[in-house]
Amino acid sequence: MSPQPQAAVGAPLSRVDGRLKVTGEAQYAAEFDIEGAVHAVIVDASIGRGRITGVDTDAAEAAPGVLRVIHHGNAPTLPYRDNPGSNNLPGRKLRVFQDDRILFHGQPVAVVIATTLEAAQHGASLVKFGYDAERPTTDLAEGEPGRPGNYSRGDVEAGLRDADVRLDMTYRLARNHHNPMEPHATIARWDGNRLTVWDKTQWVPGTQLELSTVFDVPLDSVRVINPFVGGGFGSGLRCWPHTVVAALAARETGRPVKLVLTRKQMYFGTGFRPAYEYRMRVGSDRRGRLAATDQGIDAETSSYETFTEAVMSPGQMLYSTPNVRQSYRTVPLDVNSPIWMRGPGAATGVYAVESAMDELAHELGIDPIELRRLNEPAQDPSNNAPFSTRRLLECYTIGAREFGWDRRNPKPRSTRDGDWLIGMGMASGVYHTAVAPAQSRGRLNANGTAVIECATSDMGPGTYTSQTQVAADALGLAMRAVDFRLGDSRYPQTPPHGGSMTMASIGSATLDVCIQLRQQAIRLAVEDEESPLYGVNAEDIVVRNGRLHVQGNPARGESYQRLLTRNDRTRLEANASFSPPRGERHSISAYSAVFAEVAVDATLGLVRVRRMLAVYDAGRIISPKLADSQAIGGMVGGIGAALLEHTVTDHRDGRIANAGLADYLVPVNADIPDLKAIYLEGEDMQADPLGVKGLAELVIVGVAPAIANAVFNATGRRVRELPITAEALL
Amino acid sequence: MSIELPESDVPPPKGADEPSSGPTRRTFIATSTAVGGVVVAGGVIGGSLLADPAAAETVRSGQVSLTVNGTRRTVTVDNRTSLLDLLREEFGLTGSKKGCNAGACGACTVLVDGRRVNSCLTLAVRLEGTEVTTIEGLADGDQLHPLQQAFIDEDAFQCGYCTPGQILSGIGCIQEGHTGSPEEIREWMSGNICRCGCYVKIVRAVEQTAGRK
Repeated sequence: MSPQPQAAVGAPLSRVDGRLKVTGEAQYAAEFDIEGAVHAVIVDASIGRGRITGVDTDAAEAAPGVLRVIHHGNAPTLPYRDNPGSNNLPGRKLRVFQDDRILFHGQPVAVVIATTLEAAQHGASLVKFGYDAERPTTDLAEGEPGRPGNYSRGDVEAGLRDADVRLDMTYRLARNHHNPMEPHATIARWDGNRLTVWDKTQWVPGTQLELSTVFDVPLDSVRVINPFVGGGFGSGLRCWPHTVVAALAARETGRPVKLVLTRKQMYFGTGFRPAYEYRMRVGSDRRGRLAATDQGIDAETSSYETFTEAVMSPGQMLYSTPNVRQSYRTVPLDVNSPIWMRGPGAATGVYAVESAMDELAHELGIDPIELRRLNEPAQDPSNNAPFSTRRLLECYTIGAREFGWDRRNPKPRSTRDGDWLIGMGMASGVYHTAVAPAQSRGRLNANGTAVIECATSDMGPGTYTSQTQVAADALGLAMRAVDFRLGDSRYPQTPPHGGSMTMASIGSATLDVCIQLRQQAIRLAVEDEESPLYGVNAEDIVVRNGRLHVQGNPARGESYQRLLTRNDRTRLEANASFSPPRGERHSISAYSAVFAEVAVDATLGLVRVRRMLAVYDAGRIISPKLADSQAIGGMVGGIGAALLEHTVTDHRDGRIANAGLADYLVPVNADIPDLKAIYLEGEDMQADPLGVKGLAELVIVGVAPAIANAVFNATGRRVRELPITAEALL
Repeated sequence: MSIELPESDVPPPKGADEPSSGPTRRTFIATSTAVGGVVVAGGVIGGSLLADPAAAETVRSGQVSLTVNGTRRTVTVDNRTSLLDLLREEFGLTGSKKGCNAGACGACTVLVDGRRVNSCLTLAVRLEGTEVTTIEGLADGDQLHPLQQAFIDEDAFQCGYCTPGQILSGIGCIQEGHTGSPEEIREWMSGNICRCGCYVKIVRAVEQTAGRK
């Protein structure tokens, strides 16, 4: 097969759905106009643990417009068939209104359905519960850890004992909430035994499967629709209880029901990045070669499910270290279950590792980049697999040059600008490249357009656009001739829209389906006596702008349109089922070097990020304009984690004390200076057929430690806690 | 009903998971109330109207005439209805977004008589005689407003959910003359949160559009 000309892939194109988004026409879950829909509002438990002793719905039911109040006392028993899929966690999931147990503050205890939103909200305020309250345990430091997950290589005790330099640090990371701008929302409608939900989700097939098991209806009786997702960052990777509540409410009332979580409910109605404590003991020789690390990791989980993530990986493989020991314990607490959040595991693990590296560099008097170079492994130290591509050293070189790293004074608290202490810091980042099976189907129409469909989502990275770019090139069509559709469970199955695997997985399926369509057309042409391409070797034909022609001889050819019309074909169709290749074992990850300059007010402790730059080794970049936005957005997310974001729980009753965007601080425009992203040109063909290594997770990893290290350089104060607040620096 | 009464505000020692230890003043108030038979209200949404039970029995409404994107509309609204809910739930103008419903995120920003406001904090009944402009009213046929086009050109959004509010707020920012420098734009655009983190590009889009005026 001759290589297709690359026109769309790699070009800095604007979003294909841009117009819909700037005109307000893009429809998010709660925005579908469903005939006869009524409104539902959830009532949240006001205790952190215990039992419901009574419920009084009289006032609510008497209120104008209220149709129904459903709670554990009157809800039907739901089948809740076993479902180990759908990103359900090990344990026993929360079953809505099935018993009187309260497992966390804010747990849904009732739902009020009314004809208007105002009536439903008011009705919800009138439902009264009595509780038998127990004191919840919600503090990571107070819980009883579960059995640890362990990793070990070499002899850590000997390595530490024989080391010239030993450091012992404990880092703490606050709980973070995704806080996508669009609140989670579901519209549910039953037509007989068939359920349709318009639902904010990052995994259309996952939600479909979950609802079919909860209500015990056939999988194909459940349809999930969500063409637009207003941000997710992981919060939509599971089907949360409110989606079941909406479907239940719709079934019980016989009406379509719209249920939108309040911003406050997002803090306990969906998951979060758990709080962590990460103890790190490090030993090295005088020159800076790492001898041993001993890592003890504790993280929050709920009392009813065990949440884990790949937090151990960076501490195993980022640097060459002969002796490594890790113990990762989850601590069950009276909280709702966590869920993966952007850069899951890696953002946390890398913060600890990269903070420790900076501390070691300072201790040894070595430049932080030099220390990292010294410990650059030749192969993956965790499993001795060869790296597919690992261009971290290039990231350092280019980043240092572009950022002006040579202007950094290694002596902390030595650069001032008026009242401001100025510091520079850097950190490496890594995120494992994930690829999962994905399906796609496509058709090439006789009018020269193509439609590609799969059940993935687009929560903002630009899946519509980048997949269209892949398809356009593989089909030899203009971007506008390709209609890439997603967000419907009637389309072919896809993995979760997360873990940075969408391009690698769905992109590979899209690529496959489009190559098949092109080949079908080429075959049709070379076997068609009336085609100018009759008898030409199929290998020598390329397609450009919808026209098949002999490579090197553009005059000899014809359009898809002519070819299909003449052959009485209204369309060509193809299906693709992509499975990750199982070839030679490689260690496949995307890498970054992140640089930050901060200013810290010497008197007030205020931290301002002045500028940031990051260099990424992420394989092929399909959509550079959108990739740039992803990277900058990742830096903004990392700035939030470093300096602002902190879910505060009142441990006395398990209430989240700052459940709102006025109190849970996220970066605003004034917090963000100019940020710069550089992608190394290249591809990783071991990773997947497109040569991509994933972006969305990588770009948040390494940001927080780069800032933390810059704060140390500025102030000489090592704050081992995120977020770094003014109080910690006073 | 068993109620654990508080003994001190000191948290229990690490490792203790006895439910009986250390409730706090807040738990005390809640649990005591329960003991007294007046159960604790579960919901927290708009709860303070409860004092007058009669208030729950009738819905008070009012009539309001306002112009939305050039079209005069006269409607009877529940007095509790915000402009945002009126737009989204009654008029089907879902381009204005609900991000927090508390005036903290700016996703609901619209122009009322040319000024940018958080429509979630604005009661609809108060808007008699006003002119409201939402994202749906910006383009002139197929011709996008220059700031809409600049958002596309600069890739000033990702998920798109905050975008209508950012654009309306950007129009307000430009009209107010707060575009003298990128720093000034940042400051005056800080009422609009973008969780995807597109601020750098939002500033560019606003700057570019202001420069063309």
